[in-house]
Amino acid sequence: MKRVLGTLILIGTATAPASGTADAPRYVAEAAGIEHVYDGGWEYFVGGGVATLDCDSDGRADVYLAGGTNAAALYRNVTKAGGAIRFEKMEASPLAMNNVTGAYPLDVDGDGILDLAVLRVGENQLFKGLGNCRFEAANTAWGFQGGNDWTTAFTVRWDKGRKWPTMFFGNYVDRDAPGAPFGTCAANQLWQPRAEGGYTQPFKLEPSYCTLSALFTDWNRNGTPDLRVSNDRQYYRGGQEQLWRVAEAGPPKLYGRRDGWRKLRIWGMGIASADVTGDGYPDYLLTSMGDNKLRVLTNRSEKPQFGDEAGRRNMTAHRPYAGGDILPSTGWHPEFKDVNNDGNIDLFITKGNVEAMKDFAARDPNSLLLGTGDGSFVEAGKAAGIVTYAKARGASLADFNLDGLPDLLVVNRRVPVEVWRNAGLGDAKRTVPMGNWLQLKLKQPGGNMNAIGAWVEVRVGTRTLTQEVTVGGGHASGHHGWLHFGVGTAERARVRIHWPDGEWGPWLRVYTNQFARVVRGSTLVQPWLPPG
Amino acid sequence: MLSSQGQAESGMRFGEESTVRPTLSQADAEKLGTKALIERGRQLFVAKFTVGDGAGRPGATGAIVPTRAANSDLPPFFRTAGADSNACRGCHNDPVPGGAGDFVSNAFVSEGFSDADFDTVDPQFSNERGTPALNGAGLVELLAREMTHELRAQRRRAAADARATGKSVAVDLTSKGISFGRLVIEADGYMDVSGLDGVDQDLLIRPFSQKGVFTSIRQFTINALNAHHGMQAVERFGERYTGTSDFDADGVANELDAGDLTALVAFQATLPAPAQVRPESADNAALADEGRKLFDRVGCAACHVPALPLESATFTEPSPFNPAGNLRAADVIEPVRFQLDVSGLARDKHGRVLVPVYSDLKRHVIADGERPHFANELLSQRFVNRDEFLTARLWGAGSTAPYGHRGDLTTLREAIVNHGGGGGASRRAFEALGETEQRKIVGFLQTLRIVE
Repeated sequence: MKRVLGTLILIGTATAPASGTADAPRYVAEAAGIEHVYDGGWEYFVGGGVATLDCDSDGRADVYLAGGTNAAALYRNVTKAGGAIRFEKMEASPLAMNNVTGAYPLDVDGDGILDLAVLRVGENQLFKGLGNCRFEAANTAWGFQGGNDWTTAFTVRWDKGRKWPTMFFGNYVDRDAPGAPFGTCAANQLWQPRAEGGYTQPFKLEPSYCTLSALFTDWNRNGTPDLRVSNDRQYYRGGQEQLWRVAEAGPPKLYGRRDGWRKLRIWGMGIASADVTGDGYPDYLLTSMGDNKLRVLTNRSEKPQFGDEAGRRNMTAHRPYAGGDILPSTGWHPEFKDVNNDGNIDLFITKGNVEAMKDFAARDPNSLLLGTGDGSFVEAGKAAGIVTYAKARGASLADFNLDGLPDLLVVNRRVPVEVWRNAGLGDAKRTVPMGNWLQLKLKQPGGNMNAIGAWVEVRVGTRTLTQEVTVGGGHASGHHGWLHFGVGTAERARVRIHWPDGEWGPWLRVYTNQFARVVRGSTLVQPWLPPG
Repeated sequence: MLSSQGQAESGMRFGEESTVRPTLSQADAEKLGTKALIERGRQLFVAKFTVGDGAGRPGATGAIVPTRAANSDLPPFFRTAGADSNACRGCHNDPVPGGAGDFVSNAFVSEGFSDADFDTVDPQFSNERGTPALNGAGLVELLAREMTHELRAQRRRAAADARATGKSVAVDLTSKGISFGRLVIEADGYMDVSGLDGVDQDLLIRPFSQKGVFTSIRQFTINALNAHHGMQAVERFGERYTGTSDFDADGVANELDAGDLTALVAFQATLPAPAQVRPESADNAALADEGRKLFDRVGCAACHVPALPLESATFTEPSPFNPAGNLRAADVIEPVRFQLDVSGLARDKHGRVLVPVYSDLKRHVIADGERPHFANELLSQRFVNRDEFLTARLWGAGSTAPYGHRGDLTTLREAIVNHGGGGGASRRAFEALGETEQRKIVGFLQTLRIVE
């Protein structure tokens, strides 16, 4: 067992150093049957996402990998429960397109089968899921025009009464504009569905500032998710991070200074949300070059006024912790998950130089920041054994072998995808579990069957662990599947759902160390047994 | 080392008032040998913990999940919210260390989270519970483990069938002749648990506590050490889950190591099982035999099953079913292993040991409007409803008065006639007997004793 201790003291800050400790899980590299490289020139310096979805409804997380100038690839998860991670490539899939930067799974048409939004340099493509990991192109059938932009961000929400989602596509540089790339950010797009389903025309969402990540999120828990957009200051002029109020009728409105919004200019690469502070509201980790940000509401829910707690909590991860490079890090995909199941949320961040930026670290290992009981985080990448120096981009922290411990898949530029199995306190030969855990899925009637926009509360002892169910964020990487909660020593938990239409479900009893589905209207959870 | 009184002996400085330190690691426990391990466990069981050991928990509640006290002004020892006892033996002492307890040793148990620091015995804050005997606990835990294995194997087979056929499969769960209701598994692996009976949705037989909510002797012990003594086990309250080695803020770090818990389990698991002590008088022995038959005839034996068959009496510690926060089988390379004494017990035709536990290790509703006594608690405990209890193990009934989960019934007869709910029919059958016949049943139960 490796226990890691927080030691970082930020020079020039008046805050206390991180002092907590946490046990690092041991990650074991696995071949996993995946041979895949994200590659390409300038347009593929960004992107490199992975979509995690259960495309054959067997409960296991399958993956769709962006390839850049290589063909994207869909891999079916054939891992035995608790075993070594194993994928099989789905040959001859229409998903095997070139110029893919990332992808997000969601059920667009409400048929209960996951579909896929594929982001590209060129025409974006919606694919309708047919079951058993088969897909068909659906742009024409659904009235969606994929355009010809360089798309790098995606998120959705379901408006009340709508069976189909409102979709946001975030675009990066307009590479054909005069003077490109500086100051030539392409317009973002909002696609609102027709009442009967399908789409007609997008709404141009401007100003746009070279977006690399976006997330519909109910930041003040008023029941209507707004649109948080993270933008790359490398190319915009006069831009900043954005929060759009997207009304169900009328044009979207950008929150501004009068609303309490504070200007933040970063090399915004990715968004992850979690209730880090434990106040019931989501906090937002924004990756950037140099220091990452943790945006926390400073006045509860009255105004979208966010301050930053990344430094205080030792979450900046602004410099490599291994490899000897002292230049600043470049962060890409952030993802919150309790990887050691101790009940404290953890944070994984992919890192890697854009390509050859001399002012930033060339050897820049991914960060695994473990949450400690005192609210601070400690770097545990080395203790976890995940140090490599690939230029990482997208990632997924999914429990690929269904043993309760979140595993890890990382998409790298120009070098193969990495798959890491979480062996807990064990090693390659033997997994030793860590804390107790619980993994949940939601189901409700209507188009939004997977309850995107719901809030899940898990009550253990005096604590309530909260997760918002979203589609979006990360860096070009979308995930749909089990919602994972680490619950430490708790053997039981109470679960309640705040459904997307605002209705609160009852507190339901559930035993930990198991998978379960919460079906709206039911007073019992439905436990689920992994195959094999 | 300790004397039998829990006082410092050799190896400690003269005048030293710690009783159990230094602590014992799991690695050292594995090297001790069974006899020495049990002796260490006995010493811990009888020791009156001191502040030098870490007794008291000013910074923590008695909750099973590490929970900080909310500015409690309670004194260090306190009969309601605890810590309420100095030694395990303080309550478990009748008729031997490890046995039951008088009403005076009742404990007030609460889920113990946000409202853990109650200063009243008002039942809205806690449930008052008598002290159960621990004798035979090792056999009980082994029975429960085998039953869990069996139920989960049935679940696994049904799930495989459902997936293979693409159709839902209903399975009637049984183990050791006990029915635990019906589980329906859909082709996609989701389960309908609404038909389960007397067992939790994870099919884990939890044989300890009056409500059947604890999996293992170890889990129960860790809970009790914290709640009653303020002695915190590292595996639950240590740095891994709390970020500190002194979670209860009493100035003593790492109060009990994994080896200490293993020793305590070894002592409790090897406490001799209760047995029937037949009356010396031939006439009374014959009456007891008749009482045993009547016990069956009126239906008591339907739940108070006289004997459950046990495949193996080899006890391994830790339990394969412990959740995190208790040492787990996966945490060790090899478990500590010892044999339980089953020399006096009968075997069935398959060679299985017949454990005369007089219980089905299952929960039942045992109160109703007609006989509400056993629903006298206001708080449900750990998902178990207020009128539902684990079938009491009667194998030491003759030695463990008072009766009922609150210990407020002085006689076996009172306990019987207060059965409602699922025990209502048997109670009515009992009441329909004449007094002589009733006395035979009571007399038979009095022959089931903890042997001193």
